[in-house]
Amino acid sequence: MLSPKTTIDLAVRVVENIAKYNVNKIFIMPIIETDQVIIETRNLGKSVPTANGLLHILSSVDLTIHRGDSLAIVGASGSGKSTLLSLMAGLDTPSVGSIQINGKELTAMNEDGRALLRNQLIGFVFQSFQLLPGLTAMENVMLPLELANDKQAEHKAERLLNRVGLAERLQHTPRQLSGGEQQRVALARAFVTEPAILFADEPTGNLDSRTGAQIIELLFQLNAEKQTTLILVTHDNELAGRCQRTIKLDAGKLI
Amino acid sequence: MNQLALAFRLLRRDARSGELTILILALSIAVISTTAISLFAERLQKTMNLQGAEFLAADLVITSSSHIPQPWLDQAEQLSLKRAKTAEFSTVLIENDEMLLAGVKAVSKHYPLRGHLKTIEQDYLTETVHQQGPKVGNVWVEKRILSALKLAIGDLLNIGEKPLRISRIISYEPDKRGDLYSLSPRVMMNGYDLHATQVIQPGSHVHYFFQFSGAQADIVEFNHWVKPQLNPSQRLMDIHEDRPELGTAIKRAERYLGLASIVVIIIAGVAIAMAARRYTERHFNATAILRCLGLKQKQVLNLYITQFIILGCLTNIIACALGWLGQLYLFHLLRDLLPAEVAEPGLFAVFFGFFTGLAVLFGFALPPLLRLKNVSPLRALRHDLDPMPISSWLVYGLALLLVSIFVWRYTDDLKMTVGILGGGFAITALLGGLLYLGLHIWRRKQLRLPLHLRFASQNLTRSPSRSISQILGFSLTLVAMIISFTVRTDLLADWQKQLPDNAPNHFVMNIFPDQKNAFENSLKNQEIKEARFYPVIRGRLVRINDTPVQQIVSKESQGERAIHRDLSLTWSEAPPDDNKIVAGQWWTAENVQPGQVSIEEKLAKSLKVDLNDRLTFTVGSRQFDAVINSIRKVRWDTMKPNFYMVFSPGTLDQYASTHITSFFLPDAQKAYLNQLAKTFPGITILEVDLMLKQFKSILGQITAAIEYLLYFALLAGFTVLFAAIYSTLDQRIYEGALKRTLGAGKRLLQAVHLWEFALLGFIASLLAVIISETILFVLYHFVLHLDYAPHLAVWLIVLCTGTGAVALIGSWGVRNVVKHSPMRIFREL
Repeated sequence: MLSPKTTIDLAVRVVENIAKYNVNKIFIMPIIETDQVIIETRNLGKSVPTANGLLHILSSVDLTIHRGDSLAIVGASGSGKSTLLSLMAGLDTPSVGSIQINGKELTAMNEDGRALLRNQLIGFVFQSFQLLPGLTAMENVMLPLELANDKQAEHKAERLLNRVGLAERLQHTPRQLSGGEQQRVALARAFVTEPAILFADEPTGNLDSRTGAQIIELLFQLNAEKQTTLILVTHDNELAGRCQRTIKLDAGKLI
Repeated sequence: MNQLALAFRLLRRDARSGELTILILALSIAVISTTAISLFAERLQKTMNLQGAEFLAADLVITSSSHIPQPWLDQAEQLSLKRAKTAEFSTVLIENDEMLLAGVKAVSKHYPLRGHLKTIEQDYLTETVHQQGPKVGNVWVEKRILSALKLAIGDLLNIGEKPLRISRIISYEPDKRGDLYSLSPRVMMNGYDLHATQVIQPGSHVHYFFQFSGAQADIVEFNHWVKPQLNPSQRLMDIHEDRPELGTAIKRAERYLGLASIVVIIIAGVAIAMAARRYTERHFNATAILRCLGLKQKQVLNLYITQFIILGCLTNIIACALGWLGQLYLFHLLRDLLPAEVAEPGLFAVFFGFFTGLAVLFGFALPPLLRLKNVSPLRALRHDLDPMPISSWLVYGLALLLVSIFVWRYTDDLKMTVGILGGGFAITALLGGLLYLGLHIWRRKQLRLPLHLRFASQNLTRSPSRSISQILGFSLTLVAMIISFTVRTDLLADWQKQLPDNAPNHFVMNIFPDQKNAFENSLKNQEIKEARFYPVIRGRLVRINDTPVQQIVSKESQGERAIHRDLSLTWSEAPPDDNKIVAGQWWTAENVQPGQVSIEEKLAKSLKVDLNDRLTFTVGSRQFDAVINSIRKVRWDTMKPNFYMVFSPGTLDQYASTHITSFFLPDAQKAYLNQLAKTFPGITILEVDLMLKQFKSILGQITAAIEYLLYFALLAGFTVLFAAIYSTLDQRIYEGALKRTLGAGKRLLQAVHLWEFALLGFIASLLAVIISETILFVLYHFVLHLDYAPHLAVWLIVLCTGTGAVALIGSWGVRNVVKHSPMRIFREL
């Protein structure tokens, strides 16, 4: 008789095998073992052509991240932190190297495949909130759920907005919210799909120190509740210190 | 000088980056259409003014339905004026079993006194100029007569009783007017042969043109001498005092074309305003830096205005050249209605197009541009610091003023200008208000829609004013196109449809009294029944109860039109068929006496006359009175002869008359017409089918010219669409990136765009269908008196093509939204 863990393991393999052939249609189950490698990069590099030849923004980055890890990426401006984050999140494509997320080769996917992966596995928090200005707080949080055809979108969005303390602000548009409130909406939107990985790019960069501290508190609380893998880009050493691991980039290379 | 160089450099950079494409496109469309119309109108006007004498073919012309008195000719002789005479009439030509209604012009020896005639033999390479008409025994004909009657040069053509040899093809006659007579294909013959044709008999419907030329002083003297002696049916045209007028069809076409070009200007103006607004907003940051670097407010404004002047001048030069080509095509479309030779285009019209372009550019672009002056240098530090918006009074006031000037120029009528502007403004405001309300309600209801539809309608409802201007731009253009197309089609179809089976399809006029019995017998032999004959005398109403009619009737009324031309007068013992007496009584055998008249109801109302009023008529140089003893309601659509005035028997006995009748002849018996025309050479047979065909061709040409202008309006509509797309493109790219970050696929976003523009196209087309059907209903019901039926096929075509075209073109406009990587977009923000 198979143990429940083995049964789940088998189920995951079956689904993944099917997903290999039809990534657009099959729901990738975010069920992953605790000690499983969730992100692995090999010889990752990004360069862009300029008038003076190729400019290497990132080179030879080898990185392994396990489920449940919290990782801070630090470095000076222009060191390649945001580029590394965007490549790992599938927002951009590398010039060389490979990225595996949950065992899947990200570089082998097309834009739609990556979009589906982001929808199922990944949450984002940006420095400048990036909320859709025409939508209310509620609609903004519902958006990733609706993209995944979740029938419970309204219910889940409302619950999470309550959790981040915005029960009274559901029908407000971003313009009617303060910076701190907008970032709370962004947090709710990031966690509402219960993603396996959360990418946060300078999440307090646009906030005053007090509001920033509140947001960080909330971020780590939600992270603990949802057992999310957190990858954080920051200048703030104190914030980096709250993560389990810190890596530092300099001129596009890990040091 | 430095600033000019900077303006050039900035302009070149913006033009390269595509910032100005929409603006240039919209401006070009406005200038091309304005220049084309302006050149078209100017060339016609110039033709009329400069070549007035040639267009009369003389210096002074007296038109008359009969010969003018000999003393008039003697007086002209005394003043050493040269004389010529033409007689114009319609007749049916029958050759090789083919029939054609032609306009015959019999010309005297010295015709034309001014200008010249042109003919060709086979092709236009050998065009010959003549100072005289055809020789005795010859005719010149228009080319289409040869093809219609299967004739060739050298063949004989029978006009009435007289066979004449076709010697040349006429390609130009100076005094060809834009009326129905001259629109029929021309046959020109020598006046000497006219008698032998036996076509002209006392009472025949003929227009005589007595032409004079000479020294200006002599012409003026003759004019002053002869004018008081003219009878009401005669008219004098003098190039020094009266400008010959264009045919009404052309005059109206010119006015409609002008108004259509205003539609183009307005729609293009909206696109320019939108594009200028985006241009301004994208230049806030650059302006803030220029301000930081020490540029004063005035210098900033000068810098941008200089750029727009350069842009306007360069665009307008090219657009004026294209407009010049555009007017050539317009002349081509209307070639059959226009004089064969028109004046060369002048520079004034091109300048008008050029300066109109500058006025349109600044009228619509200046208000947003003025905002740049108010950009604070602080914006270099705080990007959210926008300058104050410009007063909407300035924005709309300037545009409205500009449009008013254009409307006034094309209509040349203050009342009409106010009417068009007021009506247009009211309709636009009403439709805009309704659309705003609709979009507002739609926004609240869209939460339950499927995702792609919801995103699509969110895009549509987010900025109602932008969506409304796009929808109205398309709708109003489509409305103009639908109406133009439908009226043309329905007018002809309904007219033919309305005729009951076996309704008379032929009119015969100019049957002389001594031919009447033979004619009647001939019809009976062919078993043609129910042909009723009416005597006809041409006469004019001059007084009502001894007051001149001019003092009674108002301008532009039916009565006014009736007193300025000869009426067909008749008499009858019994009331005409299908006429209903609505006041008074028809005369009976017992109480009938001469001097009574029955008048048509609407004309009576327009002339403000009632029973027992006394009317005075002139026929030739004689006058007679009649008292109204009944008023009739007439059905004009029966295709039987109908009359405004029917007199009691005995009233008109002393005047020469001809008869008119109408009858039904089945297609199989058409050959009988041939026989009729040969037996009775003086008669004029009008075939309803032929008349419809001719009418259709005129209507077709005018509507084609108007539709040609409407295509520009449609193009302008698409520039509005693109301007709106580009004004939201940054926003769309950002939102697209964000949605893709959250997991939306390319296909979903593409579907959203397709649906968004399909919805926009659908709403615009639906609105167009509703508005045009409403207008058509009112037009048919109250103006054209046609049977109204919904145009389902048009609905379907407009809805499908409107929706499809906007969906495809709009989606193409936003194709870049899904192209770039989301991270690159976030970084660029």
